[in-house]
Amino acid sequence: MKFIKSRNILLLILIANISVSCKKFEQRYADIYHPVATPSNPVSDAAPLCGNVKGTMLSGKTYTLGCDITVQAGDTLLLQNNVHINVVSGAAGILVNGTLLSIGTKDNPNYITVPGISKTDQLGANPNNDPAFKGSWRGIVGGANCPLIVIKWTHIEFGGAASGNLIGPAIGVAANKNTYDLYFQNQLGTLIVEDSWFYGSVDDPIRILGGKLAIYRNTFEKCGYIGGEAINIKGGSVGDFAYNLCIGMATNGPKSSNNGGTTIQTNMRFFNNTIINCGYRRAQTGRGGSINYEEGSAGKFYNNLMVNCRYGPRVVVSPPADTTNLQYGNNFNYGDSLSVTSQFYPVGFITKPQLTDLPDPRTFLPANYQLGAAYDGTSLIGKNNPMFINGPVPLPTGANLRDISVVGTYNFALKAGSPCIGKGYTGFKPTGNVQINPIYGATELTQPGKDIGAFQSDGSGNHH
Amino acid sequence: MDIFTNYVRYFYLTIFLCILFSFTRVMASGIRGSVYDAVSKETLIGAVIKLQGPTVTQSSSANLEGKYSFKNLTPGNYILTCTYVGYAKTTKQVTVSNSIAEVNFNLLPFSSALNEVIVSSTASKETDASARFLEKNTNQVVNILSAKTIQLLPDITVANIMQRVSGVVIDRSSSGEGRYPVIRGMDKRYNTTLVNGIKIPSPDNNNRYVPLDLFPAELLQNLEVSKSLIPSMEGDAIGGTINLVMKDAPSQLFIQANIAGGYSAILANQPFQAFNHGVINKKSPAEVNGSNYIAAPLDFPRGNLSYSQNSHPVNSTYGLTIGDRFGKNKQFGAVVSASYQDIYRGTNSSYLFPNPQPAVNNIPAFADIYLRKYSFEDRRFGAYGKLDYRIKKGQKLSLFATYINTNQFQTRSTVDSILAIQRTGPGNGNVNFQQRSTWTIQDIFNITLQGEHDLGTKFKFDWSGVYSMAKQQIPDQSIFSTLESITTDAATGATKTTPLVLDGQMTREWFHNTDQDAAFYANLTYQPKVFGKKAEFKTGGLIRHKHRDNYDNPYALIAQQTASNQPQVFTDIFNAQYAFSGVYTGGSGEINANTYSTSEDIDAGYLQGKILLSEKLEALGGLRIEHTYDSYQTAQPAVSDGRSGTIHYNDILPSLQFKYALTDQQNLRVAYYKALSRPGYFEIVPTKTVGEFYSTVGNYNLNRSKADNLDLRYEFFPGAADQVLLGAFYKRIQDPIEISVQPPSTSNFNTLTLIPLNFGTATNLGLEATVTKYIGNFGVSANYTYTHSRITTDKILLQRDATGQIATSTVAQSRPLQGQADHIANVSLLYKNFKGGLDMQLAYVYTGQRITQLSPYYGLDYYQTPFSQLDFSIEKRFLKKFSIYSKVNNLTNSPLKVKIQQQNTFLTGNNRLPIQESSNFITVQKDYYKPSFLLGLRYHL
Repeated sequence: MKFIKSRNILLLILIANISVSCKKFEQRYADIYHPVATPSNPVSDAAPLCGNVKGTMLSGKTYTLGCDITVQAGDTLLLQNNVHINVVSGAAGILVNGTLLSIGTKDNPNYITVPGISKTDQLGANPNNDPAFKGSWRGIVGGANCPLIVIKWTHIEFGGAASGNLIGPAIGVAANKNTYDLYFQNQLGTLIVEDSWFYGSVDDPIRILGGKLAIYRNTFEKCGYIGGEAINIKGGSVGDFAYNLCIGMATNGPKSSNNGGTTIQTNMRFFNNTIINCGYRRAQTGRGGSINYEEGSAGKFYNNLMVNCRYGPRVVVSPPADTTNLQYGNNFNYGDSLSVTSQFYPVGFITKPQLTDLPDPRTFLPANYQLGAAYDGTSLIGKNNPMFINGPVPLPTGANLRDISVVGTYNFALKAGSPCIGKGYTGFKPTGNVQINPIYGATELTQPGKDIGAFQSDGSGNHH
Repeated sequence: MDIFTNYVRYFYLTIFLCILFSFTRVMASGIRGSVYDAVSKETLIGAVIKLQGPTVTQSSSANLEGKYSFKNLTPGNYILTCTYVGYAKTTKQVTVSNSIAEVNFNLLPFSSALNEVIVSSTASKETDASARFLEKNTNQVVNILSAKTIQLLPDITVANIMQRVSGVVIDRSSSGEGRYPVIRGMDKRYNTTLVNGIKIPSPDNNNRYVPLDLFPAELLQNLEVSKSLIPSMEGDAIGGTINLVMKDAPSQLFIQANIAGGYSAILANQPFQAFNHGVINKKSPAEVNGSNYIAAPLDFPRGNLSYSQNSHPVNSTYGLTIGDRFGKNKQFGAVVSASYQDIYRGTNSSYLFPNPQPAVNNIPAFADIYLRKYSFEDRRFGAYGKLDYRIKKGQKLSLFATYINTNQFQTRSTVDSILAIQRTGPGNGNVNFQQRSTWTIQDIFNITLQGEHDLGTKFKFDWSGVYSMAKQQIPDQSIFSTLESITTDAATGATKTTPLVLDGQMTREWFHNTDQDAAFYANLTYQPKVFGKKAEFKTGGLIRHKHRDNYDNPYALIAQQTASNQPQVFTDIFNAQYAFSGVYTGGSGEINANTYSTSEDIDAGYLQGKILLSEKLEALGGLRIEHTYDSYQTAQPAVSDGRSGTIHYNDILPSLQFKYALTDQQNLRVAYYKALSRPGYFEIVPTKTVGEFYSTVGNYNLNRSKADNLDLRYEFFPGAADQVLLGAFYKRIQDPIEISVQPPSTSNFNTLTLIPLNFGTATNLGLEATVTKYIGNFGVSANYTYTHSRITTDKILLQRDATGQIATSTVAQSRPLQGQADHIANVSLLYKNFKGGLDMQLAYVYTGQRITQLSPYYGLDYYQTPFSQLDFSIEKRFLKKFSIYSKVNNLTNSPLKVKIQQQNTFLTGNNRLPIQESSNFITVQKDYYKPSFLLGLRYHL
């Protein structure tokens, strides 16, 4: 008996040994390539920059990007004020896996542009020859784990070239696919863009796939060739887009969606923006032309001033914006053509007319108005001039709605007596999810304004 | 369970019972008997018996049971002469009195004088009875369809034939043609395809599985589907192994030729749209001019986006097989078989495109209604040749080669009613018109040199040296769109349609991939007597080196505005103005996630023993060890994590099975085996593709799946071609691979990312029954399979959290394995009149509800509703060597329907959707193919 028992134990041990050694024998071994960090070069203006760089670009100097540069994780590239970065056409972009800080000032802004391009901004110019849509460099691209990009008082122009072999993989597209002026894709990271100028892009000047956002007091001119919004926000994005001037965007000014969202719902506040003649380079009707909320996005939009935009604010029904968490009102709309005024509340969408909107929806919508129904906007044509100091209102003679796409000599500040003055809603606050810091954060999160639009009669708001 | 399914189940049950109770005999007077192969004891169906008597001369032939009879004969002496192709003529004298004389024939195959091997390679191997013989005597659990069966089936490709095999469901391509088999609920990734026992590579761009619609049916001698493994077989077949056994050299001159013409009925109301593929450049601009080349719009011809219509294209098929043996002792054998098919088809599809992301609480949201008309032309060429040389008894060399080439020209015309934008109801909104032209070229080539050598009386050695290549090219897949918008005037109610304008992009993309394989197989067999009984011990192995290259190069040209900044009004594609926007966007796009190469080395060895434990009990078992060494290389930059890598592992795959012969005609089998399934080539490559709605990424941590498989089967072969098979199976799959949502715990969770992951353990069990019964000239063949599988994976649920925010959470959801249908059934009614040379078959296939597409979202998987199809074929012999035949597919024009199992809120109002049928589910797809006809002539020497 004992003998048998011990034999059993021996047998068990044997089986156990076999199964352990089998497991070991069947073990999976993987030898996977992991990149070895290579040192970053200090920045220098002596020769065109290429590869990994870090350090400080000094005030007054001009630097050249000869090819893609990378700010590696853990590194910082700081642009002091009055820095010019000239990008060699087509061949370069800035990939930011670490921190990028471009700290221009009102008097000494920075420039990141492709040199030698002359802008063709006359009315009625052939868009196919317009350098704004030629996509001459790869733009600034935040990597998947980029913690912080701060852009202050900086001109960024002409983005949209083919992504190439470094930036393409960083944004998950083929090497010949278009890029943007600025791309950010880390919902745990922070993107601050203040008082800056974006001119020209093939698609969106700013594309966001998640992030904490403070986009304040900027100017967007003539962006998107046959499609593109001033800022195109996807899932995982929370923050503000305020006091911006958007003129001549292909589609919308700001657009917010929760598509591709994971754990953080997109929740964007679009307030006090001035949006002029947007939506005219998109062939498809109904794609939007001012403000857009869709696919589960929450947020608020107040105090926006829209002039001659192809469509008023779009709240999309399928798949729906998060209408439970979407509040809006005090938005002002002006149109010089029936095609515009009959789309203040765009047909086929679920934007709810608000009593605080201007013009007052009660004055032109039928009593039995259903959301998204067509209505007659004839009575609104040319009514309620917002009274810019110098703006394309009414539409200049000889100009088409689609022709107005740059600021030029216009001044979108309000004259005394403007119907926008004092009509803003100030009963809410900016999201405030970014730190306030002269270099590493937002300079100022401008509170919602008393006046509708980006330019406040008290001098606050957009300073361009 | 809907009523229809129940109805179908009872219907089958009734048929089964009828057949089971009908194994009884009815007899008449005269001379009767059976005809057998003297060596294998198989019945020889169709053997001709001539009767010469004092006053009469008559002839008869052996029916499906192998029996013949002459009735009402006057007493006297008769001479019976029995002949059959490939067999020696045999004559017998009989004296008939007033009773029934029983005369059986045992015909000797011509080749039996040479050696035993040849017996199994005579023309008779193509018969049904031979298939039953093989099923009964093989080691593993197997279902076999013979060439004779295949010839009479209404199907012309191997994929469509597969649906007739018990336990098999086929995944169809958008043309309605079968493409991939799902065996016993195990998706295509779990199955392997062999040609003459040799594994072949796949022309698919990312996966291992081989599209079976490439293979013309008539190249086959047998189609074997093994549902269990023995150690001498390759271990990566959890679901099953499909072996395409090609034609073998016959024992005497054999010629068969056929020609047929036909028509696909759908093209009468939906003309075939042909494009000019002559303008297509097989290489991308970057391949022609170098990777630094910046393409211009003129590099992209437009002829392939311009269409001509043809309402009456004629389908045609041609086939030729010639085989013979030569030499003094007929030691040289040769067979050549070639087939060419040129088939035009169409599909009329309604498809509701769901927005990839649903609304809160996972309520489906729809972005578009697609009304699609597909045109397909498949030009399928297949050739097979085999030479064998019998050096002397027990020494044989064979060389065989297979070449398959398919060109598919596909036009997809889509009318896209956009639901999300400015649509106030049906008849209003934006309509996009999209045209897509695709030319797909797929090739498979395999050449094998095989040797079989007897070493003395107890040892045998056989080996195979193999080179295989599979290739796919999709040159210049082109897409462009135009659009118009229909609005209703608020005041007048009049509708207004805007002019048709060019929209967005024209995309042009080149894909190609090549998979090359060199392998060497060797086996040593030892057949001693153990305890006085026959035994067999086998050892051997395999070395394979595989290399695969994948190339993808997309280009996107943008529709230009007019000089006055307006969209272009569309006149025709040749006048449409497109250009590249963005510097270097005309450059090469070949650096992307789909450009990569992989290689795989497999070294495998096994030990296998088969012994008779008693007269009736046979045991077969052993161990197989496979070593896998995979590597991959991408085109990603040096800073990319995981741009290249190697992965290697060993697998121990034991198996053991018992076959117990209850009687001569009945077996009981129990089998256990372990099998694996390696990840698809692309699944381990970690490059990321960012899509509009979610990104996809590979996973180098992916483990292979392994499964324990248990099989139980009862077999009853009551004679001739009859059979009853009853089986049960159970599979436990560890680490099944499923595409899922990347968990947020991993480093980058910025966008929703889909990734292949291993998911715990899945189970799959089922029951199978097959009955084939012939009564005189009539036959019924039926099979039914019940499958139940479960897997649990993580799915996304969009819900509001406590603060009212929409939050994404992952929820585990249990469901059947993708592709698995609970109920599968086939019923064929056969009529075979050998004397009149008339064969007919009505074939019905039923496939129960199954998941055809997985959604990353909870509760939103796509289910194909139960599908049934009725096909018919007929063949009539005339002038002895000719026959005329016809095949009719899809007699009932069954629609293929796909649904989402969610409450249907789209039945009324402005959001109402077309093709809806129930408030309990949302129909998202409905495809019609209509019947197709083929009429042909066959010559047989």
